[in-house]
Amino acid sequence: MARRSPVKVVGSRLVQALPVILLATFMVFALLKLVPGDIAVTLAGDNATDARITEIRKIYGLDRPFLVQYGAWLGNVAQGDLSQSLLTGEKVADSIGRAFPNTLLIVVIALALALVTGIPMGVMAAIKPSGWIDKLISMLASLGVAVPGFWLAMILVAEFSLKLNWLPATGAKSFSASPVDAIRHALLPGVAIAAYGMAEVARQLRGALLEVLSSQYVRTLHAKGLSMSRILWQHGLKNVGVNLLTIISLLVNRMLAATVVIEAVFAIPGLGSLIVRGAIQRDFPIVQGVVFTMVVVVIAVNLITDLLCAAVDPRIEQ
Amino acid sequence: MMMTTRREVMALISGALATTTLGGRAFAEGAPKKGGTLRISAPANPSSLDPATGGAGSDHAFLFTMYDTLTEWEFDTLKPKPGLAESWKFTDPTTLVLNIRAGVTFHDGTPFDAEAVKFNLERNRSDAKSNIKADLLSVAAVEVTGPQQVTLKLKTPDTALPGILSDRAGMMVSPTALKAAEGGVVTRKPVGAGAYSFVSWADGEKIMVKRNEKYWKPERPLPDGIEISIIPELTTGARSVTAGQNDLIYQLPPRQKVIIERASSVKVVHGPTLYVFQIFLNWAKPPFDNIKVRQALNFAIDRESFVKAALAGLAEPAYMNLPRAHWAYDAEVAKLYPYDPDKARKLLAEAGFKEGTPIEFGGYPDQDSVQRQEILIEQLRKAGINARFVNAPVAEASAAFFGPEKKGAGLLSAWTGRPDPSLTYSLMFTKDAYYNGGRAPVPAELEAAIKESRASEDIDTRRKAFSTVQRLVMENAFVAPLAFQFELVAMNKKVQGYRPNLLGKPKYDDVWLGS
Repeated sequence: MARRSPVKVVGSRLVQALPVILLATFMVFALLKLVPGDIAVTLAGDNATDARITEIRKIYGLDRPFLVQYGAWLGNVAQGDLSQSLLTGEKVADSIGRAFPNTLLIVVIALALALVTGIPMGVMAAIKPSGWIDKLISMLASLGVAVPGFWLAMILVAEFSLKLNWLPATGAKSFSASPVDAIRHALLPGVAIAAYGMAEVARQLRGALLEVLSSQYVRTLHAKGLSMSRILWQHGLKNVGVNLLTIISLLVNRMLAATVVIEAVFAIPGLGSLIVRGAIQRDFPIVQGVVFTMVVVVIAVNLITDLLCAAVDPRIEQ
Repeated sequence: MMMTTRREVMALISGALATTTLGGRAFAEGAPKKGGTLRISAPANPSSLDPATGGAGSDHAFLFTMYDTLTEWEFDTLKPKPGLAESWKFTDPTTLVLNIRAGVTFHDGTPFDAEAVKFNLERNRSDAKSNIKADLLSVAAVEVTGPQQVTLKLKTPDTALPGILSDRAGMMVSPTALKAAEGGVVTRKPVGAGAYSFVSWADGEKIMVKRNEKYWKPERPLPDGIEISIIPELTTGARSVTAGQNDLIYQLPPRQKVIIERASSVKVVHGPTLYVFQIFLNWAKPPFDNIKVRQALNFAIDRESFVKAALAGLAEPAYMNLPRAHWAYDAEVAKLYPYDPDKARKLLAEAGFKEGTPIEFGGYPDQDSVQRQEILIEQLRKAGINARFVNAPVAEASAAFFGPEKKGAGLLSAWTGRPDPSLTYSLMFTKDAYYNGGRAPVPAELEAAIKESRASEDIDTRRKAFSTVQRLVMENAFVAPLAFQFELVAMNKKVQGYRPNLLGKPKYDDVWLGS
């Protein structure tokens, strides 16, 4: 079968992404409307009367039919406007623009740490399966998967912020203003999320490598007299590249989700805190905006992964 | 204006004692000095920085920094005192004359005068977006009767107004800014005449204000500015103070006290507030449509133990909706419901209520709320009441109970302070009030007594009226008050001059930063 050009692939994937975005935002919108609790009550203030709440619904257009409200939101998005917070009037695009870099930095740090630690662990474990190193690494990996991120986060804060005073306990700094300070703030949350990633990378890589190393062509390479390290780094890792890319894309998506809890522990004003605040206050433009952003990010990550996989392994049909 | 009575002096002393037992250290060490940025951890993003359109009780901690009010209150008793209004006088029961301070300007340079006051009060009481119309319901007309004088013509006598003008309704916004603002609201660009002027607001993240160099109070404010970080997770907020990233955190739960006191760099102050944990009751439907069941509930609660177990002793048992320190507190009413499980059982039997029948209450799912519920369930069980809690997030549970759904027989929640007690009572115990979940009628004499409490300016007459109000509310057991939460504030040792107040919403009037 003839290979399609990457441009075409990207184009068709974007077209496929549209219904996903529509469905996801519609479902979230519906959920927000279905669960009890009403932003009109919050908007009406502490001394509200029933009449005032009805009035508020009218002022903010909350009395319109559900589909009309969703349609209005969608219409705005189509024109590039994520509308504004019902409660505070801040533009949702501004809120996201400020929050996203904070979340992104944590995820990038977490991913880098997970790879830097996870890949060597996976390789070492695969070299001598069932050896003591493998057993130790398996144990560490199990621990990494089992330990809840928020718990690890609190332990890290207690040790490195409160006791040793090396790193800040809360908050975030803008990366563009001062990269060093921003990384210092994002380091502990990054480590807290990375633990799981490290474990996942180590386990998956070990499994994939073992399969490659037990294959016939590796036996041939051994027979040719190639050293173990050359087999491993030149042939082994190349062949598990696709697995690794898949793990990374899954990890990025999962880490994005993990930031919701971690950001609360570190009081980081990121996407996670934003969506939690929006959901609790039923401030649906915020929730919709963040969901929209998340969906776009996940689709983009998957698309990039697919393109990279195809580049690494030409056998993969696009 | 008003004479201080012996009881008020006692209240003041007990209030002061409560604050000084641990809070003494908070009072100034050395001479107050200018400079520095006060960094605060706040638990919630403001709903709006426009006093008329906001909705949350937690907004005041931000609003008070930027907006001055027509009247202010005494920190310990909440008695109104002059603010932007130098003095006020009821020339007759339906005419309130406010004399406005001269020489004050808003942050944008607009002069603060009688016209500005009229503009604000008219907006607050009639603008479609105003959330505080109800506060000024008694006002019929606002007239400028001099360059520095405004006269309020009232529909009915309303002596709660001086108190009300110390809150949102009395926060003065620059008319120039309001007229220029999109939609006529200054949600995101507040311009007041307060000690600090607005710098920036990043939602859910940070609010910054800087010193108003032209502030009318001499030698105030002392810090160069305030930086308020919004940290909803209180444990995290407390950590930010112990780690030295913030200087002060307020509204800490009592259980944090022991933990935060371990940090040597931090001091803790606390004092009583009007914030009361209570069970709201729906007396429009069974079982609480029966007065005996409501009374039984009140007898079944051991408030002293509740304070110890649920609030680490940092609270005052609540037998009515006002704490001991308040000027309208009535010690006789407080004696109505001593802990008496036997009496509760007896009342239940008289009401024909079958022991052990489950009663469904609404509640909130956070750790502290659930702990309060567990303690109550156990206390009520001893009196033969089988309480069940159905938990949901605050907005959801409140809407289900107070809104049209009318879910549950009661709601374990809290009532935040109001500047004048008449608001507290009229917002909960009149027929169509939102916080009367069942919208059920109350005795005519109660409605009359609430009106009466706003009819006289004389504090003794008002106090008598409030005694009647409180007695009727508690005799009818329309609510089961549990405990007044103390304000618990933790701060860096360099923070000086912070005083808790009875309203429980922090004001940083005299705060300064030492070295």
